Amino acid sequence: MMISHNRRKILQASGALAAATSVPLMARAQAAAPRVVVIGAGFAGATLAKYVRMWNPAIQVTLIEPNPTHVSCILSNLVMTGALGMSTITLRYDNLRNKYGVKLVADRAVAIDSVNRIVTTQTGNRIAYDKLVLAPGIDFDAVPGLDTAVLPHAWQAGPQTLALKAQLDAVPAGGTFVMSIPPAPYRCPPGPYERACLLADTLLRRRRAGRVIVLDANNDVVAEPHTFHTAFQTTYASVIDYRPSSVVTSVDWANKTIHTNWGPIRADAANIIPPQKAGKMVVAAGLLGTNPATRWAPVNPLSYESTVVPNIHVIGDSQGTGQPKSGHMANSQAKVCADALIRYFAGEAPDPAPMTNSACYSPITSTTASWLTVVFGYDAASGLMKPVPNTLAEAPTPSGDHYEDMFGWANNLFADSFS
Amino acid sequence: MKLIRMTLSGASALALLVAAAAAHAAPPAGRLLAAQCAQCHGTNGQAVSGMEKLAGESEGEIYKELLEMKARIKPDEIMHRQAAGYTDAQIRLIARYFATGGKTSTTTVSTSTSSTTTTGTSSRSRSRNDN
Ligand SMILES: Cc1cc2nc3c(=O)[nH]c(=O)nc-3n(C[C@H](O)[C@H](O)[C@H](O)COP(=O)(O)OP(=O)(O)OC[C@H]3O[C@@H](n4cnc5c(N)ncnc54)[C@H](O)[C@@H]3O)c2cc1C
Repeated sequence: MMISHNRRKILQASGALAAATSVPLMARAQAAAPRVVVIGAGFAGATLAKYVRMWNPAIQVTLIEPNPTHVSCILSNLVMTGALGMSTITLRYDNLRNKYGVKLVADRAVAIDSVNRIVTTQTGNRIAYDKLVLAPGIDFDAVPGLDTAVLPHAWQAGPQTLALKAQLDAVPAGGTFVMSIPPAPYRCPPGPYERACLLADTLLRRRRAGRVIVLDANNDVVAEPHTFHTAFQTTYASVIDYRPSSVVTSVDWANKTIHTNWGPIRADAANIIPPQKAGKMVVAAGLLGTNPATRWAPVNPLSYESTVVPNIHVIGDSQGTGQPKSGHMANSQAKVCADALIRYFAGEAPDPAPMTNSACYSPITSTTASWLTVVFGYDAASGLMKPVPNTLAEAPTPSGDHYEDMFGWANNLFADSFS
Repeated sequence: MKLIRMTLSGASALALLVAAAAAHAAPPAGRLLAAQCAQCHGTNGQAVSGMEKLAGESEGEIYKELLEMKARIKPDEIMHRQAAGYTDAQIRLIARYFATGGKTSTTTVSTSTSSTTTTGTSSRSRSRNDN
């Protein structure tokens, strides 16, 4: 946290903080357009910026993002196999700027002063906000001995996606590929299992007679159990060796050895996906509170406002409502947050009954895909987002139709989020 | 000269007032719910590819289809699961929002969008109705 604790106390004592947060909004809005600042232009941040501007162009939106384009994790496992090129998953920000008038700042946020409501960027730019939205995605725990420059996790898409493809392409005939799955919750519940299937499919199609050892820190398949158990036990029975409750304790890549709670494993190639937590800016802003076990930002699901620091909202993978960490869901939450911000500047309370949903398509082979879907509704009694009965489901069987629908879904999700 | 300046300042004051008023506009009913369809069906129901367009479909049509879907969920239809997530009243709001393009009046369906009723409907998404 960048502001000193003392300063905050003094401000609080003098009532300045209370005044700053409760000044009638009319006064602010009449003085100037309300200012929303967003950190991170992934699925969550891009959607938020677009929808606030589309729904209310009287609100000024500044979007801070160091990367010139967004490389989508969605469909990135198909870049790993060579089925798609990087251009398919590279999404531009032009429309956010040109069509919706979002102010893009090509920089990295490094500090947040939540009392004076100022974000500082790497280049020393200071940007004031009335409402701040954090959408920085995920950060990783260190795995002892793991150098992700050598062994990419590719759990953020980009250069690492191609580095993982290179790993796969270099597996020798009869070789062993070891991949690991972190404890839940992590980004994209079915994602690691999808990746295991596509690694196996690629080895089979290339007639490498290799093996894929899947080390799952969880005691069972986390998402789409029917689909993935079937895939592991039948489709890929000769390739995939699925090992639940297996935790990577360290990596010794000089000796091509992965150490686990069950002992060492020799590998020719590896994809270690580390345990995950909220993005760094969430931690820097003090949004995780004082319990060191908290890994995701606690928020009010009506507005996604932090329950720890006022006027900072957290959406996408970094928030901790327990809803699945997917791009589809990040987009969904961004709309609830955008609507709540618009109502806030209009002096209104958030929608009391927000709904969100997720729909993910997972390729299972090079020609078939499965899907996973759920709808969440706000439960006023508990104050939580809860799955609506009968909506959580996986496709009964992977199919070519689903594989085709996957591209229609992805194209619409990409466009709804970024253009 | 003086007059022009006065007019300008008057205009900018008006612009400020308009901006302030716009900043205080409350969202129309159904907009947030309908936006939750856009991940697959496109922003404002204007699908870019492969999925059914919802913009300009009639209120009755969308309402009836969604109610049928949730009444008889087929395990292989992802959309049936989605429909099951919403109450009849929520579905009514969603249908009305798409039919009217967000205008609160339900009697006038905008002519600019009514022509798109069938263009975005793929053969696959139409087939989900023959149950
Ligand atoms: C292999 C794989 C497959 C997946 N498949 C699917 C799928 O089929 N369907 C689905 O819905 N989801 C899928 N996902 C999950 C999806 O990618 C994530 O849930 C989604 O990207 C989360 O969006 P986000 O905006 O929270 O984070 P991100 O998309 O990671 O965006 C965060 C952004 O914040 C920026 N940022 C971070 N820190 C700062 C800072 N300090 N200053 C400025 N900017 C900053 C980053 O540069 C980045 O652009 C998949 C993920 C993986 C890994």
